Amino acid sequence: MTNKIRLLLATAVTSLILISPALADNMLRISYPEDPKTADGQMTSDSYTLPLNVFDRLIESETTSPGQSALVSGLAEKWDVSGDGKTYTFHLRQGVKFHDGAELTADDVVYTFDRMLNPKTKALGTDILTFIEGAQERLDGKAESVSGLKAVDKYTVEIKLGQPYAAFLALLASPQASIYNRAFTEKAGDQFGLTPETTNGTGPFILREYTLNESQMLEANENYFRGRPKLDRLQVRVVADSETLRLLFETDEIDVFDLDYAPTQTPYFYGNDKWKDLVRSGPRVGVYYYNINQAKKPFDDVRVRKAFQMAIDRQTILDKNFYGKGKLEDGVLPRGVACYAPAAPIAYDPAKAKALLAEAGYPDGVDINLQQVSSWSAKWSDMNQIIQAQVAAAGFKANIVTTDEAAFLAARKVGETDAYTQVWSADFNDPDNFFYTFFSESGSKVRAYNNNDPEVFSGVEKARSLTNPEERCKLYQELAARIVDKDAAWVPLFSLDHSYVVQPRVKNFVVPWNGWSDMSYYKVEVE
Amino acid sequence: MLMFAIRRIVISIPVLIGITAILFVMLNVVPGDPIALLMKEHASPEVIERVRAQMHLDDPLITRYFRFLWDAVQGDLGISIKLNRSVTSLIMNAFPNTMMLAASAACVSWIIGIPAGILSAVRRDSFLDHFFMGFSLLGVSMPIFWSALLFQYVFAMQLRWLPVSGFYGWQYLILPALVLGWSSAGVIARLTRSSLLEVMRHDYIRTARAKGLREVGVISRHALKNALIPVVTIMAIQVATLLSGAVITEAIFGIPGVGRISVSAIQSRDMPLLQGSVLFATALVILGNLIADMLYSVLDPRIRSQMTKAAP
Repeated sequence: MTNKIRLLLATAVTSLILISPALADNMLRISYPEDPKTADGQMTSDSYTLPLNVFDRLIESETTSPGQSALVSGLAEKWDVSGDGKTYTFHLRQGVKFHDGAELTADDVVYTFDRMLNPKTKALGTDILTFIEGAQERLDGKAESVSGLKAVDKYTVEIKLGQPYAAFLALLASPQASIYNRAFTEKAGDQFGLTPETTNGTGPFILREYTLNESQMLEANENYFRGRPKLDRLQVRVVADSETLRLLFETDEIDVFDLDYAPTQTPYFYGNDKWKDLVRSGPRVGVYYYNINQAKKPFDDVRVRKAFQMAIDRQTILDKNFYGKGKLEDGVLPRGVACYAPAAPIAYDPAKAKALLAEAGYPDGVDINLQQVSSWSAKWSDMNQIIQAQVAAAGFKANIVTTDEAAFLAARKVGETDAYTQVWSADFNDPDNFFYTFFSESGSKVRAYNNNDPEVFSGVEKARSLTNPEERCKLYQELAARIVDKDAAWVPLFSLDHSYVVQPRVKNFVVPWNGWSDMSYYKVEVE
Repeated sequence: MLMFAIRRIVISIPVLIGITAILFVMLNVVPGDPIALLMKEHASPEVIERVRAQMHLDDPLITRYFRFLWDAVQGDLGISIKLNRSVTSLIMNAFPNTMMLAASAACVSWIIGIPAGILSAVRRDSFLDHFFMGFSLLGVSMPIFWSALLFQYVFAMQLRWLPVSGFYGWQYLILPALVLGWSSAGVIARLTRSSLLEVMRHDYIRTARAKGLREVGVISRHALKNALIPVVTIMAIQVATLLSGAVITEAIFGIPGVGRISVSAIQSRDMPLLQGSVLFATALVILGNLIADMLYSVLDPRIRSQMTKAAP
């Protein structure tokens, strides 16, 4: 028996020694459920951790307090905007070095933006630069360069817009606008950002290892222009299974547990004595909403749309499905976005909703379809089931229609989906990111709202070019009232908190202003 | 034997072409746009249309299919839409990881399954028989995601003997190999048992015993060799199946193998990657069957003689 115990102990000790490399000092270990695919922010539309940590932008969005941000200087030390709001002049910091030792110059900035608009790049994030003069000609292959981009001297870049666009600076702070080195990136060609050898930025971390579907290892950039990060290394693991993720966290193999990837664990971590003080939470600048397609009967009648708004008990959904971690939203913008102001609350009133349905000619109720996608997480189908039961009290006989995601997107882009629920998180801190996406003339069609209100269309366009912040915010608030109250074009539901649990050794972990899972780890420390 | 193998490989070429054709048509009949899926919520229709055209996804089906075939013959399976990497290199990089997992799991299943099957057959209806058959039934019946969680909980979380997940060294392979191997071991154990029991009834076994051979010799030299023929078939097919992607095991244990990229290809309608993965999996199954046939000939001289006759 003694021998058996010895054998067991020896096995245990050996195992611990074998596992120990994972417990490296001064390394933060984080995880995402999917591989980021690339470090090149121009070639992705949903994985920004690598761009945010390996590269810098001319301007950065800095989190000032939970859910709040400010635009601060990045690679551009300062900038000027012309009186007509069309010309932006950026003065670059001098002496900023890329990871390969090359110095950042204005030519790199011009190259980076031209590369994004070059049709040969096949970039996905071109939307952020289409306001630049000559961008469309370059995208269409009709020009060899972008007329609105110019390197005035070694450290000065001038960008001319086709017309004033108030959100342009905010756009330049988005991860897609990361700045690359011309010589290195041209040499790397279409392999740029796919491996450590073909990745080169100015950011706080250097990509050292990248194994597809397994992990990436980032190392501190000793020469970072803001000062070396506190972490020596950042390990990013790909963990597809949420149960495995929790086991990894509880066995101290992961330092940060993102509750977005395992929301059902929320009550456990919030209620557990060991972990509750290690929960870090902040508002997600994103709005959950219910789409209403006015091209589908009976939603062509505003009374039916208003009845639908009133028939959903949003607080119950927030409490039951999301453990009450969030806030009801009543407008178009969620808390945290510039120009946000609380809107008039939408009352939950099934009796009034029923009366409205009767007034619209449906005294015995009406059939509606609620669409969902089979590959989306269970939270959407759970919400639909609850809403199906809730709206029945008002007389809506809701059928839940489940389709494949590809079929859903194909139908939506031609404005033909049934009502569906989704969330929109801010790409950049400007109301245009919400209003233009959903309620511009093109957005309303391709997002399947078909809210053909000319006043809203012209208002959304006008707000894009207003340069007076107060006037602009006022216009957005008026538009929100018209869209939600008069047109009843959608049902704003709520915005959620984004919660993480961290190991006790993790310090300075702050949820980013937008509540994204992708964030910069520059200021995080481990003890 | 060589001629037999060459003939089988040549015959399999139309099978591979047929599968790519069916897959190509199926993927294009089902509605959906890989670019829209790639960009998800943040897709603007203008960008989707432009990137579609840039990737030649607007070309006619027949043009795209023959372009794919022509490139595939030259070893180029195209570029993955989602991962923006060469499909051939993606599969070739992932395959060694899957191979390591499959080989370890196969070893576990053989080491457990064959002795368990033999002991159960030799000690039929004894406690040992019931124990091994119960154990193997549990392995076959228990879903992998469940046994994986169970093993992770016991060996990684409670005992802290092994890592939960990841792929940073051989110790990370132990749990997934045990989980996957256990489920295959059950099939092998039951098949070995039933096959051995059937062989033991034959006259030549009775003759061997009558000659005074010891029971160990009867089983190892006479019974087992014949009893293993169907087991070898299953073993070869199991290895081929494991190689083509132990999807759930790879996902739970974070192994960057072929299964992971295949699932990603299906979810994102990544046609080049999906075609490449299916082509690769089909080739593996064909190869697995070929190896099984060739192993028959090693185990059974009668089959060897038939193969020699069949080859021109």
